[in-house]
Amino acid sequence: MAAAAAAIRPMRLASLTLTRSSVFKTAYNPTSARTGAKYLRARLRGPSMVKYYTPEANIAQLIRQWPELEMINLAEDERLQDVEDKKKRGKGAPKKAKEKGDSRRASRRR
Amino acid sequence: MPNARVLRDIKARNIVKANEILRRAYLYVARNETLSPQVRHQAQLQLNTFGKYTHPTTVKNRCTESGRGRGIISEFALCRYQFRLKALKLELPGVRKASW
Repeated sequence: MAAAAAAIRPMRLASLTLTRSSVFKTAYNPTSARTGAKYLRARLRGPSMVKYYTPEANIAQLIRQWPELEMINLAEDERLQDVEDKKKRGKGAPKKAKEKGDSRRASRRR
Repeated sequence: MPNARVLRDIKARNIVKANEILRRAYLYVARNETLSPQVRHQAQLQLNTFGKYTHPTTVKNRCTESGRGRGIISEFALCRYQFRLKALKLELPGVRKASW
């Protein structure tokens, strides 16, 4: 078998591959040059990537969407209540600086 | 509310999806040896301008319950501890604790 294959001229083998690629509609690339086709052939991975996490309902957004239902966001109310309590105890966020010199960062010791 | 790393991962996934087709087109030109070197170089320069989160490799499969990044059992998309908890509660079909 090997002897028979060796007897066939390379030109005839090349024409065979050319015919084969035209019959089966594959790309004729005898020198195996890198054509970048694999980047076009590969499936897109984005659509399945996006589906990995199950989407979580955004309560604040739902409330904003239907204001007539008068829903309440318990977690948000609790947070605002905590902020008020902290302010009463003098533990609130510091005042914003009006000018650059007022900022706490400027008076900080280095 | 998922933790910040999961939110970042979700963001990366959306950006990868949005830029995938354009990136593929540039990759095709840049890696195509039959095109002229100038064209390929320009395509490569364009590829370099894409942001960090447009690369599919920045996406990491994290635990869908706890957001943990390591020790993920990918079939269930859970980290090993959440997998154990769920398996013991019989919430994973076909998964039972081995006993013999």
